[in-house]
Amino acid sequence: MSHAKSQPHGSRFAAFLLLLIPTAIFLLIFVVPLGSIISLSLENTALGSRFVTFNAAAENNPDQRAQAVLQDLGAMDQKQLGEVARMLNQEKSGFRSLILDTGKKAKTIPPSMGGLVAFDKRWAEPDYWEIISKNAGAISWRHYQKVSGLKLDAAGNLTIAKGDLIFMRVMGRTLVISVEVTLLTLLISYPVAFAVARGSRRTAATILTIVMVSFWTSVLVRTTAWVVLLQTNGLINNLLVWLGIVREPIQLIFNRFGALVAMTHVLLPFAILPMINVMRTIPKAQSDASRSLGAGPIETFLRVYFPQTLRGVAVGGGTVFILALGFYITPALTGGPNDQMLAYFIADFVNKTLNWGMAAALSVLLLLIVILLICLGKLIQRMLAKRERAI
Amino acid sequence: MSRLIYWVSVTFCASFLILPLVVVWPLAFNPSSFLTYPMEGFTFDWFAKVLSDPGWTRPMLNSVRVALGVTVLAVVIGGLAALGVMMTRRGTQIVLSALFVSPLVVPSVVVAVALAYAFGRTGVGGGYLSLVLAHSIVAAPLVFLSVMTSLRGLDPNLDLAGASLGASRIYRFFTVTLPLTAPGFAAGAVFAFITSFDEVVLALFLADPGSSTLPIALFAGLRDRLEPPIVVVAVLLSVLSVLFLMLLNYLQKRHAAPRS
Repeated sequence: MSHAKSQPHGSRFAAFLLLLIPTAIFLLIFVVPLGSIISLSLENTALGSRFVTFNAAAENNPDQRAQAVLQDLGAMDQKQLGEVARMLNQEKSGFRSLILDTGKKAKTIPPSMGGLVAFDKRWAEPDYWEIISKNAGAISWRHYQKVSGLKLDAAGNLTIAKGDLIFMRVMGRTLVISVEVTLLTLLISYPVAFAVARGSRRTAATILTIVMVSFWTSVLVRTTAWVVLLQTNGLINNLLVWLGIVREPIQLIFNRFGALVAMTHVLLPFAILPMINVMRTIPKAQSDASRSLGAGPIETFLRVYFPQTLRGVAVGGGTVFILALGFYITPALTGGPNDQMLAYFIADFVNKTLNWGMAAALSVLLLLIVILLICLGKLIQRMLAKRERAI
Repeated sequence: MSRLIYWVSVTFCASFLILPLVVVWPLAFNPSSFLTYPMEGFTFDWFAKVLSDPGWTRPMLNSVRVALGVTVLAVVIGGLAALGVMMTRRGTQIVLSALFVSPLVVPSVVVAVALAYAFGRTGVGGGYLSLVLAHSIVAAPLVFLSVMTSLRGLDPNLDLAGASLGASRIYRFFTVTLPLTAPGFAAGAVFAFITSFDEVVLALFLADPGSSTLPIALFAGLRDRLEPPIVVVAVLLSVLSVLFLMLLNYLQKRHAAPRS
């Protein structure tokens, strides 16, 4: 009987057959591509494939290395040479001219250390050699250095490159906006969920319909509504002017205000629905009992009802926060240049500069944060469940 | 006092949720090209303009084509996954469910980068096929969850009854399990269609000019210039959403009816 209950509709072989296709598709067009962005973020073919001879040369034989560098540089065409020069110049300024000059004359320079140094004194400095061997490998942490703003100097110490903290700042901004949106969403969701769970039958039905219509209307459509409302000569500004609250239209969109309002609106249903689920499980008799024992309605709410709804608040808030982290469309349409989040820069790298490496590194960062938060959420849930069982 | 707090906060918060939509939609019928009140009359001109402009109708047709393809593929993937997962042990169920639900939690920009790169490298290329595949991956989890819910609600005794009467596994599957979970499949199909029809981020990364979808056209229009046709398209999309919501309610009611 227990066997039949655990596998009511078939056998293990049937399960295998059924799962074969979906699992294969999920692996092929979801898991593998996601994994491949990790390798994409570390990939270094642009440099690594250009220094094949150099990578094979013995490190303690300067003449062999010099010969290898000359051979590799000589094998590159003008475009490749320029690309390599540009990338190495990011590590140490002055590298560009060194690579371009040496590359142009690679065939005429005597293939030894002496010959190279005689051509350009800079080849005598170990720094340049260090940088080539560090960047010519098959993988490179270059993109992550750029994302974190940290750099390994010649001595192997981590240093913070000045002005290179752009992406850490974007990361911080993404977290701040997500926290702000989560708090606003929770504040507005609570009364709505409360009305659905506790209101009269008609109020509950009306408000639930409103929530569901909002939930089913696409993110883009709801964002469109806000763009129309908030624009300079839009409905809200006209209303404010008509009411005499402001004399001239004020800037409501393409700034933090616009981004926060629109994102909050878009994410509201994701907080409301889990809250309703939790609130519905709280028996009304508890509040009645509290009232009959002499507590006022506000005290009853704060001491009996509210603490029990916190689980729903946590689930709703967590969902909203995780969704907000990856937002792209809504802030792109309602925020200003200083309100763009991580996702915007990922899209920017792909669409504008075709810099897949940076897009992949930022994607990995975003994905790691999301996974971390989900694990944290699961952990908290488990701890709460354990505590409830202990009580 | 507490009643007052309750009503004020509920009214305010519920209005915030619905008023932006309700207030903006009538502007699609306003003859003026300024998107503001007071309305100068009532007209369907903007609707006629949108429905006769290939710049809007072509993306519309593309969206429908993509969404139909996604519905079929997502129902097959998600449905098979749910049926299969239900037959495995508890431990396997947890692992596989996590796999089949995971596209819902990965930010769509990340999925978009991963798929754009993978499709570009394997030569699937931009266009119809890549859009259908990408949307199916994010829609399949919804079908999976929907079918899982109806499978969980199934009374195992029905299957046992079939077995005791001598029906084979396969016969029971087609005559007992599948018909009883059909509403779950139907709801999943509705979810899949609307998810694909409304999806922007993946489409922005994967579509080529020939397979541009309605949300892409809407997004581009919003970035470019705010005009009444944009509101018209938004109204059309909302109407579609509400219709699908009603369809879903109907399916759920039918699902619940025989049991009560």
